[in-house]
Amino acid sequence: MPRRTRRARRARRGMTIGLLVLASIAIITVDYRGQAHGVISGAKRAAHDAFAPLQRGVDEVVRPVGSFLSGAVHGGDLESQNAKLRAEIGALQRQTLETQATRNALRALEQLDHLPWVGSIPTVTAQVTALGASDFAATVQLNKGTTSGVAVGMPVVGGAGLVGQVIEVWSSGSTVRLITDAGSSVGVRFGSGSDLALLQGSGLGRKLAVNLIAPGTSLHKGEILTTSGLQNAQYPADLPVAAVTSFSSTPSATQETVSARPLADLGVLQYVEVLQWQSSP
Amino acid sequence: MTGPAATTRLGGALTTADVARSTIVIVVVLLVQHTLLDLVVVDGAHPDLMLLLPVAAGYAAGPDRGAVFGFITGLVADLFLPTPFGLSALIGCLLGFATGTATRGLVRSSWWLPPVVAAVATAAGMGAYAILGAVLGDPAMLRTYLVPALVVGTPSAALFAVPLLRLVAWGVPEPGPGHGAPPGGGLR
Repeated sequence: MPRRTRRARRARRGMTIGLLVLASIAIITVDYRGQAHGVISGAKRAAHDAFAPLQRGVDEVVRPVGSFLSGAVHGGDLESQNAKLRAEIGALQRQTLETQATRNALRALEQLDHLPWVGSIPTVTAQVTALGASDFAATVQLNKGTTSGVAVGMPVVGGAGLVGQVIEVWSSGSTVRLITDAGSSVGVRFGSGSDLALLQGSGLGRKLAVNLIAPGTSLHKGEILTTSGLQNAQYPADLPVAAVTSFSSTPSATQETVSARPLADLGVLQYVEVLQWQSSP
Repeated sequence: MTGPAATTRLGGALTTADVARSTIVIVVVLLVQHTLLDLVVVDGAHPDLMLLLPVAAGYAAGPDRGAVFGFITGLVADLFLPTPFGLSALIGCLLGFATGTATRGLVRSSWWLPPVVAAVATAAGMGAYAILGAVLGDPAMLRTYLVPALVVGTPSAALFAVPLLRLVAWGVPEPGPGHGAPPGGGLR
């Protein structure tokens, strides 16, 4: 091969990769600075809307295979869950022998169903259709979007507490960033209500870190942390979020080392409520 | 694929048939990823075929087409991800180019070569993805998510390497003679 041709090919190759890298950096910069936020989110919405029917169709066919693969990966977990469920069934069977106990259980379920701490905020019930699409963020997808009144920034709750916040929305679905995502932070209250802290995610399945608690602050295991609802907060006040699991402090520490677990079981989410509430500007 | 439309040249390199096949490959892989593989979650991570696509393209069709295909695949992947837009496109074009360049001179008769290339390139791609994500203001991508992503993504890349390479060798044909990859992308 003539040397000139080889050199020309190498130059063309260098130019191709150079242009692609420059284009990528330009796109990242535009997205990062928020200059084309409307265009990019519009493109994402359009892609989701176009892809959703295709995804639903294929999903119907392949879900049994996916469930099988998922089951194979989580075989150990399933066994322990089965054992736990069998124990719960036994307990429930004992309860059915006592009418009063059954009534109480039903009342408790009704209370859960109505989520008393949501108050008068209108809600949209949604089904979790997929787990996170990225290995680098803890998110889930819901089957409700703009056509159901869901918008970016709305809080999402499960039966027991806060689940996360809507970060992307299209006509028939939305993406929710879970409170366990390492990029998530929630302002919380505890104790008598005057103690404030910041709850930060550490990744799916990991405990939450509770920051900004002064050393010596009165705490106990199981203490419930609720959203603070301070001005410009991302969540309305008094939504239960997490329970304290451990706390410790060293003499030189500037804050307590506190960890908590989410009250909502984020590993087995099936149905959630999207609160039609927006943070005040 | 012999009609007039199929032989239309785009930029003197690709035919519309090539573009159509590449599009089919991307859509099929995207569907498999978001319907099947997203369900296989271990410690928050799952196999990532969209990251493996540029690697396969670089291996099968050489650095030029690997880079272009990686860029397009990355942009499509970014449409469905909550991470910074354009990041997958950057990693995709670099991965496609690097894989094509690194494997150009290799003898491709070994059965273990595609899985090894896929695993190494995927690990490098995930590392670069996490580092760039951290630089762009999300340190958790490096601190929290990289290790589970590597633990799940690397072996699964090795596992899916051969079938994906066959699909990509069909969808992203190598350029004319002397452009790097041997006929068929070096696959037997």
